[in-house]
Amino acid sequence: MGGSAFKDKRPVYLNLFKIRLPVAAVVSLAHRLSGILMFLAMPFIVYLLDLSVQSSAGFEQAMTLLQHPLLLAVQILLVWALAHHLFSGIRFLLIDADLGVDRQAANYSAWLVIALSVLTTVIVSLGLLL
Amino acid sequence: MSLYILEGLKPWVIQRVSAVYIALFLFYSLYCGMNVEIVSYTHWRGWLFHPFNSIAFGIFVVAVLFHAWIGMRDVILDYVHDIMLRLFFLALVMGVLVGSGLWVIRILLFSMVE
Repeated sequence: MGGSAFKDKRPVYLNLFKIRLPVAAVVSLAHRLSGILMFLAMPFIVYLLDLSVQSSAGFEQAMTLLQHPLLLAVQILLVWALAHHLFSGIRFLLIDADLGVDRQAANYSAWLVIALSVLTTVIVSLGLLL
Repeated sequence: MSLYILEGLKPWVIQRVSAVYIALFLFYSLYCGMNVEIVSYTHWRGWLFHPFNSIAFGIFVVAVLFHAWIGMRDVILDYVHDIMLRLFFLALVMGVLVGSGLWVIRILLFSMVE
């Protein structure tokens, strides 16, 4: 962190409409966002796990809780988070292994990650809602 | 000044090894779940407290805790620059993870006997 040693006098240009993130950056950012979302959900998921194994009544209570409209919305969000985190994680591991590093392949796989995670979310959501 | 926690434990490697285990466990659970028509209380307990699944799940939880710690730590170190705020958020994350981990240990140890 620069602090007072750097008195930066350069003009700051921050027009958000002029900044276009490449799709790989969007995937990377969404990887972080989805990770944070799942971290925030963790205590509640452990609570549901506890409830579901305590007793037959607790299991039913957990199942009823999951039917609540608000929690259905949260589940759909978390399904997206898990799917995106998983698919983009696999993409990062492949890039670590030197697979698909060139720009064209990286762009293609980034779009593939977005498509697969949205598709998974839609399929699982239909299963949850129907 | 910055905080380098877990620096000596090669977090980069831990993050990737835990990621692979988490993915494998998720695919295994999904496979098990797809072979069941309706999930009942007895089925669910039977699956989770089966010795193999209990151990696999226990390792999964440890992997998730390490993975989440390194991930959240990286995000905090990237975006929170104030040292006190940074300490605050790191402690908060650590508290949530340790709390969740102890809770799961309690579930696995004490809920096994009905």
